Formats: sequence, C-alpha cells, structure tokens
Amino acid sequence: MSIAKSTKSTMSANLDWDVLWERYGIATVILIGWICAYFFVPKFSNPDNMLNVIRQSAFVGCSAVGMTVAIISGTFDLSIGSTLALSAYLGLMVVAKTQSIPLAMLTTVATGMVVGTVNGFLVTRIKIPAFITTLGMLFIIRGLSFIISNGGEPIRYNGKAFTWWGNGSVLGIPTPIIIFLLCAGVGWFILTHTPFGRYVFSIGTNSNAAKVAGVPVANTTTWIFVVVGLFTGISAFLIGSRLYSAGPGLEPGYELNVISAVVLGGTRLAGGRGSMLGTVAACLLYATMANVLNLIHADAFVQRVAVGLVLLLALSIEGIRQRLFERASRRISTVKSEPSTI
Amino acid sequence: MENTLKKIWKSYSIGVVVVVVGIILSLLSPRFLSIGNLLNVMTNASLVAILGLGMTLAIASGNFDLSVGSTAAFAGCISFSLVPVIGVPASIAAGLAAGALVGLINGLIITELRVPAFIATLGMLTIVRGAALIYTDGKDLYLFGQTGYKVLSGEYLFGIPTPILLAVGIALLLGFIVSQTRFGRHILAIGSNPSAAQRSGIPTNRVLWAIFSIVGATAALSGMIISSQVLTANGRLATGLELSAIAVVVLGGTALSGGQATMIGTMLGALLISMVNNGLNLLNVPIFYQELTVGVLMLGALAVNISQGFDVRRLFRRQA
Repeated sequence: MSIAKSTKSTMSANLDWDVLWERYGIATVILIGWICAYFFVPKFSNPDNMLNVIRQSAFVGCSAVGMTVAIISGTFDLSIGSTLALSAYLGLMVVAKTQSIPLAMLTTVATGMVVGTVNGFLVTRIKIPAFITTLGMLFIIRGLSFIISNGGEPIRYNGKAFTWWGNGSVLGIPTPIIIFLLCAGVGWFILTHTPFGRYVFSIGTNSNAAKVAGVPVANTTTWIFVVVGLFTGISAFLIGSRLYSAGPGLEPGYELNVISAVVLGGTRLAGGRGSMLGTVAACLLYATMANVLNLIHADAFVQRVAVGLVLLLALSIEGIRQRLFERASRRISTVKSEPSTI
Repeated sequence: MENTLKKIWKSYSIGVVVVVVGIILSLLSPRFLSIGNLLNVMTNASLVAILGLGMTLAIASGNFDLSVGSTAAFAGCISFSLVPVIGVPASIAAGLAAGALVGLINGLIITELRVPAFIATLGMLTIVRGAALIYTDGKDLYLFGQTGYKVLSGEYLFGIPTPILLAVGIALLLGFIVSQTRFGRHILAIGSNPSAAQRSGIPTNRVLWAIFSIVGATAALSGMIISSQVLTANGRLATGLELSAIAVVVLGGTALSGGQATMIGTMLGALLISMVNNGLNLLNVPIFYQELTVGVLMLGALAVNISQGFDVRRLFRRQA
C-alpha cells in the first residue's frame, strides 16, 4: 500500500493530492482560517490577541516537537503529561529555593531527559512494548510527583525574571513562541539533515529492514525517548513560568493533546512519514480555534467537541478520498469488462 | 512437561500473584480478610473490571478504545437525568443505549472513514466529554429522594453488591462469546491478521461495529454504577479511566498485538490493583502512593513475563 503510494508519487507527474494534503494541508487550513478570522471574527485582528494566540500554541508545541520525532519512528510516549508535571514541579522548587533561572531550566530539562532514558531503557533493553512502558510510566511518574510534593500543594514563585519566560516578549514577540520556533527549527534540522533523523525515518518505515541495513535501532530508540523528554522539559519550564506555579496534578490528559496535535499535523501514527511544519501548524490551529471560540462566546465545553471534530475531519479526508477513488475505479473496471463477457 | 508447566505459569501467573499478594496482605493486616473489606475490594475492582472486560474485546481485535472514560460520563449523565422522567429500569436501558450508540459511532468512523481506531477514539474522547459537559451544563446532577437508582450499587443477592455480580456476569458472557461463538472467532481472527480475516470472508466491518458497541455499553454500565454509588453525576465523571482500563487488560495478560483474550485475566488484573490499593490504605500509606501501584504492577508483571529465560548480561551488551 505505502509502496504503491510512493511509486505513484514519484512516477506520475500528476499531483498526488494525498501527499500534498498530508504535507501542506494543515498549513493551508491555518492560513485560510487566520484570514477568515481576521476579517469576520470581532476583536481577533487586535495585535495583542493574535500574539496571545501564538503564545498559547507554544505550551503544547514544544512537547509536540519531540513527539513528532517519536511518532515518525513508529512509537509514542504516553508519559509526557506526568513528566511535565514532575519536571515543572521540580523546576519551581529549585527556582523558589535558589532564585537561579539557569538552574531551574537545567532541572526541568534534566528531569525530562532522565524519564526519557528510563523509558528508552525499558523499551529497548527489557523489551516491554513502548505503549505499555510509557503507560506504566504515566502512572509511576504522576505518583512520584504526588509523593515528592507530599500530597499535592502547588509551589508558587513569581520572580519577574522567571515569569518573563512564559509571559514576556522580545521586541513584541512573545518569548514562548520564540522558544517554540527554535525547538521546531532544531527538530526539523535533526530530522532532515542528520544521520539520526534518517535513522528515525527508516525505523518508522520498517524497523526490521533498518536493523538489517545497519541502523543502530536500539540506541536510536533510546535517544528518541530522551529527545521527547528534553522537549517536554522545555514545555514544563514554559508552563511553570506562565502559571507562576506548578502542582503535581498539572495538565492531566496533556499526552493525548500533544499526540492529537502531531497527528493533525499530518504525521502518520504508523510511522515513517511526518513533518515539523505540520506539527507547528496544527498547534497554531488548536490555539486559534480556542481563541476564536472564546471570542464568539462559545462554551468551553463546545471547544472540546470542536477540537475532536477537527481531528476526526482532518484524518478522515484521506479515507473518504480512497473510498471515492475505489468506487470510481470499480465503475471503470466493470465498464471495461462488459464487452468481454458479451 | 516443562513446556506445559511454562504454559500453565503463563496463563495463570496473574492468579498466583493475586493469591500471594492476598496472603501477604492478610498477614500484614488482620482486617484485610474480613468479609466487609473483601467485598469492598471486589466492588472497587469490578468498576474498572467492567470497563476492562469491554476493552479486552477491543484489544483482542487489535484495536483500542480511548473514549471509554468519556462514554462512561456521557451515558452516566444521560441515564441519571432521565430517572425522574422515565423511571429506573428505562433510564438504565437508555444509558446502555447511549453508550452503545457512541461505540457504534466509533466503529463507523473506523470502518467508513478509515480513521485508525486510536485516532478515531481519541477524537471521540474529547467530543463525547464535551457532549457530556454540554448536556449537564457543567453542573452536578442530584437525585433527591429517588434511591431506586441505588439498585446498581447497593447490596443485592445474598448480601453481595450488584457491581460484583455484574462484573462476574459480564466476564462469563464475554468469555463465552469469545471462546464459543462464531462472533468470538471472528474477533480473534481480525486481531491476529485483519487483511487475512477480510479475505477469508469475515464481515470485518460488522464485527468491528459490534465490538465497539459492546465496549460502549460496558463503559456506560460502569459510568452508571459510579454515579449510582454516590447518587450524583457530572460531566467530569471517570476522567482518565480509559488508560486504567487498558492497564488492567494488559496486566491480565491480553497481548496488545491482538488475536487473543482472557476475561479471567482482566478480572484478576483489576482485583490485584484494587487489593494492593486497599492494602496500602489498611497500612496507613498516604493515598497518593496508590498512583504508583498501577504503573509498578503493570511494568513489573510484564518485565517478569518477558524476562523468563532472560540474560542479565544483555542489558550491558552493545546492541545493533
């Protein structure tokens, strides 16, 4: 199926709409969406509001960069919501004690990477499937953060230099979005310009073939989980700074939000295909939707329905096109076969 | 001989673990073995078990249903709100129907729009949760003076709480379906190789619709039980329960790759988690340690299963 598809796209000069949709679909949708919102939604065009939309997209976005790498390689990480809570909590603890921002940053990122290493170890060495490993770690890490916080009191810290990272801006551009775009840039570069990136794609396409071809599958997979943890750590730092606080119950269900953003961006859950551009666009799309629904005074509950519907709609376009194509080709083949039966 | 021993261990290891943990807990705390406490443990276990039993069918067919927590909330709220209008039995039926309908929609999205089950049910997770919150307007629902709804959670036959009876009944029913009926064989066939199943003439689409409807109905049932226990319902009911249900199924020994199912395993998995949590309570361990148990038990069980004949040195060797 995928082989047929790739030969089709390389051989025929025709545009392959599926591939085009997968690569640029969401980016186009978000462009059109912004233009429509700019003209038709009252107050959306206010520059402060638009900056706020892109700021909001960064908090899911940084983790989504790491998750894109994981999903392209054919695995995913369910533990990032818990990791986010743990590393934000530890980061806040450090910054509240020492007032040192570099130290806090180091703590959040290191926590993420340590959890990622444990995930990678369990998956590649003990050989527990990634889904189960990270599902188990979801519960364990969430439990750990409750234990460390001794039951759940959030830590607060509102030093100006710290909260600037989540709430401030540089030359009018919100800091989180700068960090998000930097992360996405780094992710894009790693995926497309390094051996590691090529390994990620080849493992996602066919991990057995990759192994036979000499790709260090186990080590690469371990590193993928470390990368996921790293970007989750960055998200944790930004969210902690944005909220001035972090508790062990932070953001339940975060992992599924991130996965749905990545998938909406055109990355295949089956692995082997995906792009950073799509992930960035999908994160922007979710943030924009939330903002527009707020501006037109829709219920917060309606937002959830809308988020799910957009995901299903985007992902079903390919299936619907396939069905139409099959029906058309069936009609052609019956027409062709008629003369021979007579 | 050695092979059969291995086979027996593989299929009953979770039962052995349950017995061992039970013995340890009864030694540590004399209250553990009291009838009241045991019924309490089993009631708690049956809430997750009912969700897990449906999920076992989905996983046996090689799919997931991530929307069960939301479905439980949605159906629970619908049924709860209808009690004053149409009475208890009809409102329970309405709840089951609502759950089955959500499941059917899942199935249709998967087969007709060709969205992978993981994503389809992920989308439905947020949609159905939103629907439940919209339906209740984000408020709590109460039943004043209408204790008839307690039938789902109160003590019933021979002093045994209804949830336990329901869980055992559903386990027997689904176990029978999987092992003795054509529908069950179709489920397992689809789980082991979907395209082969389709080519050999199995109506895969219809089987998937049925599976997801059943999963939806079991989710609805557990949502209704939860709301009947406390006689309130709201749209936030059963948040995050989908992952606990999957954990119970995995702990019970059903392979995530599909093609195989054990209802007893799922029941024992739910029982084990409930027992350990209860034991921690009796031993005065702070409640937040309970978050850990699910994860530790699950990873522990799998690590043990996988590591039979495991070479420790492999951990330190370079791997290709």
